Amino acid sequence: MEKDIREDIAWAKINGDVLKSLETPRPLYWVILLVALAMFGVGLGCEIYQYNIGMGVANLNNPHVWGLYIATFIFWIGMSHSGTLLSAILHLMHADWRKPIYRFAEAMTTFSLMTAGLFVMVHLGRLWQFYYAVPYPNERWTWPNFQSPLLWDAMAIFTYLSSSVIFLYVGMIPDLAIARDNIHSGWRKKLYTLLALGWEGTDRQWRNFRVTYLTVACFLIPLAVSVHSIVASDFAMSQQPGWHVTSFPPYFVAGALYSGCAAIITLFIILRYVFKFEEYMTMPILRKVVRLTFAIAMVWTYLNLIEYASVWYSHDEAAKAVLIQKATGPYAPFWWMMNFCGSVVPLLMMVKRFQTNIPMMFAVSLLLNLGMWLERWMIVSPTFSHGYYPWTWDHFQWPSLVQWGMVFGSFGWFTLLFMVFCKVFPSVSMYEVKEMVYHRSLALKNNELAEKGAH
Amino acid sequence: MIENGINRRDFLKVMGWGGAAVALAGCGNTSVQDGKEIVTSYASLDLPEYAIPGISVYFNSTCAQCDAGCNIAGRVREGRVLKLEGNPASPINRGKTCGLGQAGVQAHYNPDRVRQPLLRTGGKTEELAWDKAFALINEKVGGAKGNEVAFLTGGLSGHAKVLFTNYMDALGSKSHYVYEAVAPSVVRAANKKAYGVEMPRLHIDKARVVVSFGADFLGAWVSPVHFSQQYAQFRKGSNGQRGVLVQIESKMTLTGANADRWLAVRPGTEGIVALGVIHALGEAGMSLPADVAALSKAYDAERVSKDTGVSAEQIKKLATLLKERTPSLVIAGSAAEGYAHGSQNAAAIALLNRVLGNIGKTIDAPATVPFPQVAVETGKRSALEALSGSMAGGAVKVLFTYAANPVYSAPAALKFKENLGKVPFKVAFAHFMDETAQEADLVLPLDSAMEEWGTVVPEYMPETAQLNIRQPLMERLHTETRGVGDIMLALLKQSRPNDYKDFDDFYAYLRNAILKNKAALGGAGTDDDTFWMETLSKGIAPMGTAMGKLAATPAASGLSLPAPAEADSAYPLRLIPYVTPNLRDGRHANQPWLQESPDPLTTIVWDTWVEMHPSTAAKLGVVEGDIVEVSSRSGTVQAQAYIFPGIHPDAISMPLGNGHTSMGRWANGVGVNTFALLDQVVDKDTGELALNETQVKVSKTGKRVIVVKDEGFAGGSQAGKKIAVRTSTDKVELTGEV
Amino acid sequence: MSVSNMLENWKNFRHMHPVDDAPHAEYKWAMSIDLDACTGCNACTVACYAENNLPVVGKDKFNAGQQMHWMRIERYWDEDKRDFPDQGAQFLPMMCQHCEAAPCETVCPAGATNHTADGLNSQVYNRCIGSRYCSANCPFKVRYFNWYDYPTTDNVWPAEMTEQLNPDVTVRGKGVMEKCTFCVQRLERAKNNARTEGRLVKDGEVQTACQQACPTNAISFGNLVEPESKVAKQWAHQQVELAREGQAKDEQEGGSKLRGYRIFEELRAYPSVMYLERVRESAI
Repeated sequence: MEKDIREDIAWAKINGDVLKSLETPRPLYWVILLVALAMFGVGLGCEIYQYNIGMGVANLNNPHVWGLYIATFIFWIGMSHSGTLLSAILHLMHADWRKPIYRFAEAMTTFSLMTAGLFVMVHLGRLWQFYYAVPYPNERWTWPNFQSPLLWDAMAIFTYLSSSVIFLYVGMIPDLAIARDNIHSGWRKKLYTLLALGWEGTDRQWRNFRVTYLTVACFLIPLAVSVHSIVASDFAMSQQPGWHVTSFPPYFVAGALYSGCAAIITLFIILRYVFKFEEYMTMPILRKVVRLTFAIAMVWTYLNLIEYASVWYSHDEAAKAVLIQKATGPYAPFWWMMNFCGSVVPLLMMVKRFQTNIPMMFAVSLLLNLGMWLERWMIVSPTFSHGYYPWTWDHFQWPSLVQWGMVFGSFGWFTLLFMVFCKVFPSVSMYEVKEMVYHRSLALKNNELAEKGAH
Repeated sequence: MIENGINRRDFLKVMGWGGAAVALAGCGNTSVQDGKEIVTSYASLDLPEYAIPGISVYFNSTCAQCDAGCNIAGRVREGRVLKLEGNPASPINRGKTCGLGQAGVQAHYNPDRVRQPLLRTGGKTEELAWDKAFALINEKVGGAKGNEVAFLTGGLSGHAKVLFTNYMDALGSKSHYVYEAVAPSVVRAANKKAYGVEMPRLHIDKARVVVSFGADFLGAWVSPVHFSQQYAQFRKGSNGQRGVLVQIESKMTLTGANADRWLAVRPGTEGIVALGVIHALGEAGMSLPADVAALSKAYDAERVSKDTGVSAEQIKKLATLLKERTPSLVIAGSAAEGYAHGSQNAAAIALLNRVLGNIGKTIDAPATVPFPQVAVETGKRSALEALSGSMAGGAVKVLFTYAANPVYSAPAALKFKENLGKVPFKVAFAHFMDETAQEADLVLPLDSAMEEWGTVVPEYMPETAQLNIRQPLMERLHTETRGVGDIMLALLKQSRPNDYKDFDDFYAYLRNAILKNKAALGGAGTDDDTFWMETLSKGIAPMGTAMGKLAATPAASGLSLPAPAEADSAYPLRLIPYVTPNLRDGRHANQPWLQESPDPLTTIVWDTWVEMHPSTAAKLGVVEGDIVEVSSRSGTVQAQAYIFPGIHPDAISMPLGNGHTSMGRWANGVGVNTFALLDQVVDKDTGELALNETQVKVSKTGKRVIVVKDEGFAGGSQAGKKIAVRTSTDKVELTGEV
Repeated sequence: MSVSNMLENWKNFRHMHPVDDAPHAEYKWAMSIDLDACTGCNACTVACYAENNLPVVGKDKFNAGQQMHWMRIERYWDEDKRDFPDQGAQFLPMMCQHCEAAPCETVCPAGATNHTADGLNSQVYNRCIGSRYCSANCPFKVRYFNWYDYPTTDNVWPAEMTEQLNPDVTVRGKGVMEKCTFCVQRLERAKNNARTEGRLVKDGEVQTACQQACPTNAISFGNLVEPESKVAKQWAHQQVELAREGQAKDEQEGGSKLRGYRIFEELRAYPSVMYLERVRESAI
C-alpha cells in the first residue's frame, strides 16, 4: 500500500515547510494576486455600472428575470460544500488522509460562500434595500416572508457562512499558536498572538478543543446538506416547468459536492506547486480525492438521469418541452457540454494511471467545474426561455457583458481571498499532519513489534 | 361634471397657477431626500370651492385625434388634464375611446410643440410676436389677388370652418383645397351615386350578416369606436343569434382579423366577387331585378373563382348565408379606395345591398345638418393633385396650411415639395414642426385640442345631427400658442374689422353664434347663461332630428368591371399601404404611447415593415427581419420584412404613418415613409388617388435585423395550450348569456 | 415588536385566499373578458399607459424584452398550416390574473406582493427589493420589472409630459417589480366614497381603465361577492367557480356548451380573470 505521507518527517520540518508558505511571497504569487485583483476590478466595475443605470444593463428581461447571477450563485454555494465534506464528514469518518488538505478546502468553503453572497446582492434590483429580506427588529413590525425559499436561502447561507468561519477558525487555533511561537516580529506576531487565544497545548485545552471541533463538525454537516437543499428549493418550490422537481435537493447536494471536490483537485495541484507542498499533498492523497470525486460524479450522473427520466415519463408537458428545448434549442451546445463534462469526462478518473497524472487531473478538474457551472446555468435559463406561457417565450436573450463581467470578476474575488488567506494562515494543518505522521509511525512501530513478537 | 354657475374665466385662471404649482409639487419623479421636490401645501392655495385638491373633475369636450369626432370627457385635477375618457352620453362613442383617443393628452403635453410664431427666411428662423405675424400676413395677402391666396386644410367643420370660409370670402379667394390622405373619398363619391348621400348610416348592430370589402371599420375606417360599439351588439345579436362577419380583402385588416371568414381576394377583383355573390344568390333562388340579373349573368361561381382566387364553394356558401339571414349589410372599403376602377367596385358592392334588400334596413339616410355652414367639408386626395398643379403653374402666391401635412403624405409623383417651393409665402398653422411646417415661411403655433375652443360636426353621426363642443381642459401650457379660431378671427378683424368688432376673442364669437341659434340647438326657453353652461357641461348640442330616406337606389347601368390585371413583369407585386389603427395618416407618429402600442396584427412597434405571405417570401428567399428594398416607379425604400399569413401572395403591404423627418423626437427617423412609394394612379371616376395601385418589386439587401415586436419566439402559436380558445357557433349556447 | 405579535400577524398573513373558513367578506374583485367581443384594437393597453403612469421604453429596450405594458394584447394564429388564416386571428388581452393562490405571493422574500382582503394581488413598491422571484414563478409572465430608472431616463417623461402623470399612482423607480393592479386607485376611491355613504360599492360604480376604454365592452369588472353584479352573474352563468382547478361543467360528458374558462386553471392558482371563448360561425 502506498503511503499517504512519509512517517519520518520531523515535526520541525513540518512547521518549517508550512510556515515557509507564510513568508515573503514568490513573484508568481504576486502575479496571481494582481491578476485576481484585476479580474475582481472588472466585476466591480460592472456592478457599479449596473447599480447606477439599472438591472437592464445585464440584458435581463421579461421572462428572463434571472440569469447568470443566480446560476453563478448556485455554483459558488455548491463549491463551498467540499470543505465541509473534507473537514467535517471525513473527520467524523476518521479518514486520516484528509488532514493535509482539509484546511484549504475549508477556506474554500468560506470564500466561495462569500462569493456566492455577492451574487445575491448584485442580483437584487434594489441592492440598497436588501435588509428587507432579513428578519430584523423594526418598529413597524414588518417581517420578511417566511414562506419564501429565498428567505430560507438568506438565512441558511448566513448560518452556514458563520458556522464555516467558526469551524475554520477553531480548527486553526493550534496552528496559529505554532505560528505565534515561530514568528517573532511584525504584525503577524500580534495577529497570531491575538487569534491563538493563549493556546499552550495543555491537556485540558486539547480536550476542550477536540470536543468543540467535533461539535461544530456535527453541527455543520446537516447545515451543509440543508443549505444546498434550500438552494434547490428556490427552484423546486416554484411552479415552473423544469424546476418543479422533487429530486432537486439531493441532486443539488450531489452537484455541490461534485463541483467542490473538483475544485479541491484544482487547488490541490496549484498549492502543491506554488507552495511546494509535495511532502504533504502526496500522490496517494490525490488519488483518494480523485476516487472520491469519481464516486460523487457517478452519483450526480445518476441523479441527473433520474431528473431527465422523471420529466420524460411524467405527464408534465411543459417540463418535457423545456427538457427537449434544452437538448435541441439555442442552449443545446451548453447543455450537451454540461452532460459531457459532468458525466463523460469523469470517466477518465477511473483509469488508475490517470489518477495521479497531474496535468490531466488538473484539466479534468477544470472541465468538471465548467460542466457544473453550465449545469447551474442550464437549470436557470432554459426554464425562462421556454416557460408555461408561449407568448413570452424568448430563446434569444443573451446575457450582456455586464453579467459575464461579474461572473468573471467573481473568480478574481475568490482567488484574491484565497491567495491572501494562504499567505496569512497556514493552508496545511500542521498539527494534524503531525498527528498523521505520528499515527503512521505508531502503526509502523506496532507492526514492527508484532513482527518481532512473531519471531 | 360641473353644472351651472361657474365663471369659466375664473376657473381657467385658477387652473393657470394651479397647474404651475402642481407641476412643481407632483409627479414623484423626485424625492424629498434629494431635495429636488417642492411640497406645496394645498391649504395655502386659494382654491375656488368647486376645485377640491385631490378630486378630479371631468369636462366634456371633443377628441381631435381623428375625424370621427368622438365626445370625450377629460379628467382634470389641480389644473392639469390627466386622462381622456369617452363621454357616456355620446351617441358616437357611448363613453368609449380608442387607443388613439387615449393618446390625445400626448399631443397636448408633447415637448416638441411649436411655442412661438416663427418667421423663417433663408434658412434662418426667428421668433415673432403675434401682431407682427398678423401684419405680415395682411401685407402678403394684400399683395395677392383672389384665388392666388390658397388654403389647404384637412377636413373642416364647425365654427372654425365658418371663419375660414368668411376669411376666404373677405379675400375673394375660392381656392380652398380640403385634403385627407387616407379618407374614404371614393366610397363617399360612390355612396353619393348609389344612395344619394356621401355617408349613409350603417346599422351593423341590426345586421345578421356583415360582408365588408376591405372596410376596416373596427380599426381605422370612418368612426371606428362607434362601429366597434355596433359590432359588439352585432356579435351578441338577439336571442343568441350571433352576427356573422365576412371580410373580403387582399390584406388582413383588424376587422379582417375578427371576421368569421376572411377571404383573401386577388387585389382589385372585389367587384367581381360582389357580382359573383349576386349571381350565386340568383342561382340559390333569390329573384334579381332584371338589370342586375343581366349584369351578373356572366359571373358564375367558377369564373369568379378563377378571376378572384376566392373558391366557388365559398361564394356559394356566402350567398346561402346571405339569403338565409336577413337583414345583412355590405360595406365597401379598400375595394373602392384602392383601385383605378374603385368606383366600379363600390358600385357592384352597393348593388349587392340592393339585391339583399338592405337599403332602408341596415343602410339609412344620415341626419341632415340644419346649418350647412358648420357641416363637415370632407377631404379628398384629389385636392392635393389640383393644388400641386396650381402651385407648379405659379397660380398660388400665398398658401395657408392647416391640419394637413402634404409634404409628408403626398405621393412622390406629385413633386409636391418642389411645387410648394414656388409659392412665395407659405403660412403653416402647426402644432409641431412637421414636414409641411418646415417648408413654411411663417409658422403659427396652435393651441392643442385640450386648450382651444371650437365646435366639431362629425361626418358620421349615428343618431341626430350633433354639434360637438371642444373646450379647454386646462390653461395653455405655452403662453404664445393660439386656437385656430382665434387666429382666423384676428385675420378677419384685419380684413373686415367692422363685422367682428364685437368679439374680443373666438370664445365670444362662439358663444354668440351658439346662443343666437339656441332654439335650434335644443335650448328654446332657457336663458342664455343657463343654456350656455348646460351646453358646455354636456359637450354636445343636438341639431335637430331630420332624417330622410335614402334618395337613390344603386343601379346596374354603367357598371363595368375590368378583367383582373395581369402582373407587371418589371414590378410584379402590388403594394397595399396599410392604414394602421395606431398611426393612420402619420399625424400621430410623435405620440410615444402609439409608437409603443404594438400593431394589432404584427405586434411590431416603433418601425415600418413589409408584410408578405409565406409563399411570396419563400419565392424571394426572404425571412423575417431581412431588410428588403421595395421599389415602385415612384420611389424606393428599405424596410424589414415580416412574414404574414393574412395577405394575398400577389401583394405586399406596408403600414403608413412612420418615416417622418420632422415631427419631433418620437417620430423622426422611425421607420420609412410608405407614401413616398405611391404611384399617382387615380380612380377613373372620381380622380382620387387609388391607394393600392402601386406596383412594386422587392429585393433582398443582404442585411438582416431583429424585428422589434411583442410577439415572442413562439410567434402566433399557443403551443397546444389552452390560452386563447376558440369555439364555433354549433358548439356553444349563447342564449341567456349575461 | 414581540413574538406573540409576530405569531398573531403570521396567523392572519396570507389568509385571504378563498378558503372555507375565511371567505371574502365584502369584496372580491374579478374580471371577465369576452374574447368574441375583443377586436384586439389596443385601446385598453393605451388606456392603461395613461392611467397607470407606464413608461414608454423605446425601441431598443422593447427589443430587449423590457417593455412595461401591464396589459398586452396577444395575437394568435391557427396552426393547421392553411394557406390563409381564413378565420381571422385570435386576440387575447393578458394582464395580471390576480390569482387567489398566487404563485408570486408565496415566493417574495420581502413580502412585497400580497393578497388583499378584496382578493387583489397587491404589489408594495416600497417593500420590493427586486429579487424578481415573483416574476420567475408567475405562469403568465405578467409582471414587469423596472430594469431602468425610467423617471430619469431621457425621453420617457420629458418636460411637460410629467404633468400628465396620474397623481393617484406612484411613478416607479428602478429595481422594483410592477404589474396590473386592477386600477386599485380607482377601487380605493370608490370604496372610500361608498364607505362615506355607509354602503358598499355598487356594480358599475367603478371601472378599470381598460374596461372603461374598451370600445366593444369586452371587459367586465366587478365584485364577485355581490351576486347581482354583472361579473358574478357571468361567472355563475358560465359555471366557473373561483376556487377550483377544473370546473364541474368540464367533467360532463361531451363538454358543456358554455364558453367561460380560465387560463392554466390546472396550476391551481385560481385566477380572478375569466375569459369567454371566441366564437366563429360554423355555417360559413
